[in-house]
Amino acid sequence: MDYQAMLAWALPMGVGLAAVGSGLGLGRAVGSAMEAIGRQPEASGKIQTAMIIGAALIEALTIYALVVFFILSGKIGS
Amino acid sequence: MTSSFGLSFLDRTLRTTAIVFLIMLPFGIYYFGVYPALAAYSGGIWGMINLIFISALVRSAIRPDGADKNRSIILALIKFPLLYSSGYFLLTIDKFSPVHLLIGFSAIMVVLVLKAFGRLILSLDEEKAEQSKLGKVH
Repeated sequence: MDYQAMLAWALPMGVGLAAVGSGLGLGRAVGSAMEAIGRQPEASGKIQTAMIIGAALIEALTIYALVVFFILSGKIGS
Repeated sequence: MTSSFGLSFLDRTLRTTAIVFLIMLPFGIYYFGVYPALAAYSGGIWGMINLIFISALVRSAIRPDGADKNRSIILALIKFPLLYSSGYFLLTIDKFSPVHLLIGFSAIMVVLVLKAFGRLILSLDEEKAEQSKLGKVH
């Protein structure tokens, strides 16, 4: 198997793994935030802010994976 | 007077990031060239729009008095195609390096983390909690 075939196999796998990881992370973050808001509705502003920051950081990692995919996908079949 | 860690924190972060970009743009153009600076600037705008939409989506979907379903669906339908198609478009521009785009995109995360870290170091939230406790006692 040459490196292009390995790249063609590994790139979608990598993006898929990144998507699964960020999905699990976001799911946990949102679930915990909902639970916290349910316990303390008066602190919902602070909880939402912390959650939005976490969600933005998690999503940024997925976008990094996507950008790496686009950069390396140009090398397949060249 | 101390500022709160409520939802206004995100608005202040967006404002700070915009100011940082406005200050850094001429220096970026001078030291790195027009296209790298513009790529970083575009990445920064991309990141800011992303945060605006995430924030609006969370504010409409997670509320103590129930989710605003229509608004959430509309925001999700706008956010995801807009974000990923604009990112793809920026990556296909030959003169823009993906590294510079990512530097710009990450800038807002750096501002967010530094602002939160600053609050932690200065113990602003603890100070506010103590003030509100004292206010309740008196």
